[in-house]
Amino acid sequence: MTQGSRLCFAVAVLMCAFVSINGVGLNDLLERASQLSDKLHSLSTSLTNDLDSHFPPVGRVMMPRPSMCHTSSLQVPNDKDQALKVPEDELLSLARSLLLAWSDPLALLSSEASSLAHPERNTIDSKTKELQENINSLGAGLEHVFNKMDSTSDNLSSLPFYTNSLGQDKTSRLVNFHFLLSCFRRDSHKIDSFLKVLRCRAAKKRPEMC
Amino acid sequence: MRNSGAMLILTFIAILILQAAGVSPPGKPRLTSCRSPEKETFTCWWEPGGDGGLPTTYALYYHLENSETVYECPDYRTAGENSCFFNKNDTSLWVNYNITVVASNALGKNISDPVEVDVVYIVQPNTPEHVTAVVVHDEQGPFVRVSWEKPRTADTRSGWITLLYQLRVKQEKDKEWEEYNAGMQKYYNVFSLHPDKEYMVQVRCKPDHGFWSEWTQTTYVKMPDYITRERSLWIMITIFFVFIVVILTWTLNVKRNSVKLCLLPAVPGPKIKGFDKQLLKSGKSEEVFNTLVIQGFPPTTDYDNLLVEYLEVFDNEEQELVLDGKDLSEDCMKSKSPSDIDSGRGSCDSHTLLLEKCMDGREGSGSNQHQYSQHGETRWASTESSESQGPEPGSPDSANGRGKTWPVVFSSPQPQPHHHYPVGAAKPAYHSVPEILNHLSPHAMSSNYHQLNHQDILQQERRFSKPACRHSQSYNQFNLDGIDTSAPGVAPSPSLEYVEVQRVNPENMLLLRPLSDPNREPEGSDCTREDYSKVKEVTSNNILLLQRDMSHQCVDDYSQADQCTTQQPPHPCKPAVHQSNSGMPQEAIRVMGNGYVDSTVLINLAPST
Repeated sequence: MTQGSRLCFAVAVLMCAFVSINGVGLNDLLERASQLSDKLHSLSTSLTNDLDSHFPPVGRVMMPRPSMCHTSSLQVPNDKDQALKVPEDELLSLARSLLLAWSDPLALLSSEASSLAHPERNTIDSKTKELQENINSLGAGLEHVFNKMDSTSDNLSSLPFYTNSLGQDKTSRLVNFHFLLSCFRRDSHKIDSFLKVLRCRAAKKRPEMC
Repeated sequence: MRNSGAMLILTFIAILILQAAGVSPPGKPRLTSCRSPEKETFTCWWEPGGDGGLPTTYALYYHLENSETVYECPDYRTAGENSCFFNKNDTSLWVNYNITVVASNALGKNISDPVEVDVVYIVQPNTPEHVTAVVVHDEQGPFVRVSWEKPRTADTRSGWITLLYQLRVKQEKDKEWEEYNAGMQKYYNVFSLHPDKEYMVQVRCKPDHGFWSEWTQTTYVKMPDYITRERSLWIMITIFFVFIVVILTWTLNVKRNSVKLCLLPAVPGPKIKGFDKQLLKSGKSEEVFNTLVIQGFPPTTDYDNLLVEYLEVFDNEEQELVLDGKDLSEDCMKSKSPSDIDSGRGSCDSHTLLLEKCMDGREGSGSNQHQYSQHGETRWASTESSESQGPEPGSPDSANGRGKTWPVVFSSPQPQPHHHYPVGAAKPAYHSVPEILNHLSPHAMSSNYHQLNHQDILQQERRFSKPACRHSQSYNQFNLDGIDTSAPGVAPSPSLEYVEVQRVNPENMLLLRPLSDPNREPEGSDCTREDYSKVKEVTSNNILLLQRDMSHQCVDDYSQADQCTTQQPPHPCKPAVHQSNSGMPQEAIRVMGNGYVDSTVLINLAPST
């Protein structure tokens, strides 16, 4: 092989590698992300239903208000018109911020799930763990999406979670668990909605899907 | 104080009066459901609790979770009676609405329980629209393609709402619907529908997280009448195989003979020469085996067969003979023991023949052809009889030892036209001895009888193990006259006369003639007095080869079948012979000096000498 041909060969290999790494289109990435977020929300909904099946009535009274969720400070569009006006990267960063905000609380939930004073404790435990895995994989996927979208700025909001424990007594722990889960359920729905908007916005080639 | 008390009393009285009149404050209303069709607006419905008899108004109030501001329902009309419609401006997502309904009438109001509602959780879209079901003809077979439109209000294009569709199909008469999930697409192909049937189709949809919509109106579709490809293939295969089967059957039918030959090869029947299958079927085995008698087989090693002995035949009472003959036949029958496997004996033992011949003989027919000697001397290679035949004169058997009797019927003196016994028939000649005796009885002198001791015969039969009925064709010269004149009444006198073998034909026939035959021709032997033929040798076939020239005198031993002691020997040789015979050690055939085969050793001579 001559030097020129060697050079061409090396370039071709590099290009192939580059394409293979970044070869997955944005559409496919967002499609995958949407599927993950859909699963996330479904899991949280079923967890909530499991908890509600044996929830003490007094707990509902004790339940903190949803505005006390740690992610309530994040400004998100409230309706469709607002949401459709938001640019994609902002939507993505919102989704990513919310996702990031829940990695710690979910860790706490999964550690506390096994000791809940609830008859469906085992199911709750397994689902919580599954939830944690999904969040991690979705976070990684959204990283790729972000990288794919070539955003100029990465304005992730920080939503810290300071609570270390759910409570002292089993009732308060149960109530706090339920409260956290309800906050997560809403936020997962937000994430899902935003990603599906992003998906349809990027899929101009397949209008039949949107 | 008094006023308040009076007011209270008045109110109380008023209430009582009102209740007596049947009016009351309204009942407590209840919010039944709130729904959002497109995640942009939503509607809530309530049911009134009871109007209390008075016109009641309802008001819906709500406040959001993060504020205390209470708003009233902006639209009571759009959604109908007892409903509140929240338009886009009033709808916020991911926010809890705290909604209450207040019913009020002239007497009071009533507040429903509060309900927390998040709009994103109460999404239920409208039904899909424009459902069409079309039959599509394909090479695989026809199927139904169902297609529809999304509900008008749902904005799936922007991705704000994602709808999943579902359709169901059934025939009119079916109870259960067949449901199919179509995903996010707006069409679906339904296969495996039965031909010539009408189907009902319905479609509904659901958001990704929400409630199912209502089913659409039924759409009807009729399947065409067709034969599935699979069924037509099976029909063709069946027809093909039926055709093949028909062809095969017809071919087999045409060639059934050769097929039969192939499948059931012919079992070769017994092809034994002389074997008659019909006889076997009739069940008379003795007749069957008669045919298997091979003349001259097997070669007997016992050379005593070759001894030609004299039998003393005497003319007993013919009745006795006849009776004896009958007894003989019966005894022959009885003696048919299973041990008589010797087929060669069959012909000789055929009692039927005996009877037949007896009958014939009595009739006086000329068919008295029982040249038993035709069977050869081998037949008479009899048996060792252990029993004494003492009372019977001329009994060939002696009391002890082995004896051989040679029931050889010798011919009458005159050369008679002999009648060849038919070779094939192989009739036992010795059985006919009584008959012969009968016939020859009137000519006691001129004819020689050989009396067969019937017992001997029986014993011979028992012990007869050699199929010796070979056709050594010697014939007897019978005195036809003697034969013809059957005089049953005449009892043959016990007279003995010796016969001699005149010559032997090339056909192995012994020409016998009595010794006293005046017509006897000299054989060219020196021994004129002794008309014996000398046995040169015994061949393997038990054939006596007689010497032509007899040079020396007949100091002879001759085989005699029975004791001739009782008889009056016409020849002096005989007693001598006879005496010399006695005491002979048992041995095989000895050829004496003058060529006679001496089988006397094998004869159990009665101590009658």
